[in-house]
Amino acid sequence: MDELELLKKDWKKQEQNYPKLSYAEIYKMILKKSSSIVKWIFVISLLEFVFWTLISFGLKDTKAMKRFQEFDADAILIPLSVIGYVVLIYFFCLFYRNYKRISVTDNAKKLMENIIKTRRSVKYYVGFNLLYLIISTVVFMCIEFNQDTILIERMQVASANGELVKLYASIILTTLLLLAIVIGLLLLFYWLVYGILLKKLNINYKELKKLEM
Amino acid sequence: MSKDLEHSFVEQLEQHQNIIHKVCRLYTDNYDSHNDLFQEITIQLWKAYPKFRGEAKFSTWMYRVGLNTAITLYRKSKRKIQTQEFNSLEFKLTAEDYDDTEEQQLKLLYSAVHELNDIEKALVFLYLEDKDYREISETLGITEVNARVKMNRVKTKLRQILNP
Repeated sequence: MDELELLKKDWKKQEQNYPKLSYAEIYKMILKKSSSIVKWIFVISLLEFVFWTLISFGLKDTKAMKRFQEFDADAILIPLSVIGYVVLIYFFCLFYRNYKRISVTDNAKKLMENIIKTRRSVKYYVGFNLLYLIISTVVFMCIEFNQDTILIERMQVASANGELVKLYASIILTTLLLLAIVIGLLLLFYWLVYGILLKKLNINYKELKKLEM
Repeated sequence: MSKDLEHSFVEQLEQHQNIIHKVCRLYTDNYDSHNDLFQEITIQLWKAYPKFRGEAKFSTWMYRVGLNTAITLYRKSKRKIQTQEFNSLEFKLTAEDYDDTEEQQLKLLYSAVHELNDIEKALVFLYLEDKDYREISETLGITEVNARVKMNRVKTKLRQILNP
């Protein structure tokens, strides 16, 4: 006999051997909270939006930013922050729309795709923020070099001593290093969190996709 | 949600709870995980229940939500009290129905099924539950042809696990 037929025969015989939960036991269960990955993705994604919004608000109040606002750079700073907010709203709407589409009654593949899409909308938002961080740093540095009187004075002294290249190099390298550390830490964090959370989903999704090939 | 909705849901679930137990049996290997997955499937079913319009049978709908939870949504909970390893055969075999060889073969078969990946387990589960290839393909979101091809591969894989 085919192995699976043998198994099926036994499988049916065991119908009576499963535990029987009472009405009250099942009722208690529906009052409990889910711990599904969708819930976790929703919570972590919201935290990510909050995190990046707080960062942008937090930076505004720092001494450096206040000093920076005194420079004649509104033509650059205002569009930059408008872009930041527009993109935040866009990605949040995209995330929410995708999240609402996740339905446990879809077929397995569709369900996985919708979860991946939701996750991807947040991933793109994080990608945008990292890019935004790099662009803003470059823009801020250019403005500093052009308008910061203290820096300009230091540059003049360095230039007189023939150390202008050294000064440029040290400022740029320090900034790059700091940026790399921040980005590295963030990427490591995302890799760990989503790596753990979505490991099973990714494996199973690949398995389903493999069938189509 | 209204009391009536709660009542009709719990009543139907109580009646069809074996479906969830069977999913748990394939996807977990100890008592605590079994209970944990059972609970998560129940919660997912309850959350989706207001949208259940009775177009499909309650039991058919349960298969889909149960498998989706086991394959995709479920994360092993950390709140394990104790881990009693149990063999899936803890569900007692009615030994008198079998001769020793058949019983032995079944033991091997159940542990071979446990070694399959999540998608393969889903195929086996639906097959054991007498679902046709149309329903298998609709539940997993693959074509019927691919479901058949995959099923044959699973059979070969099981044979290989049994006769290495």
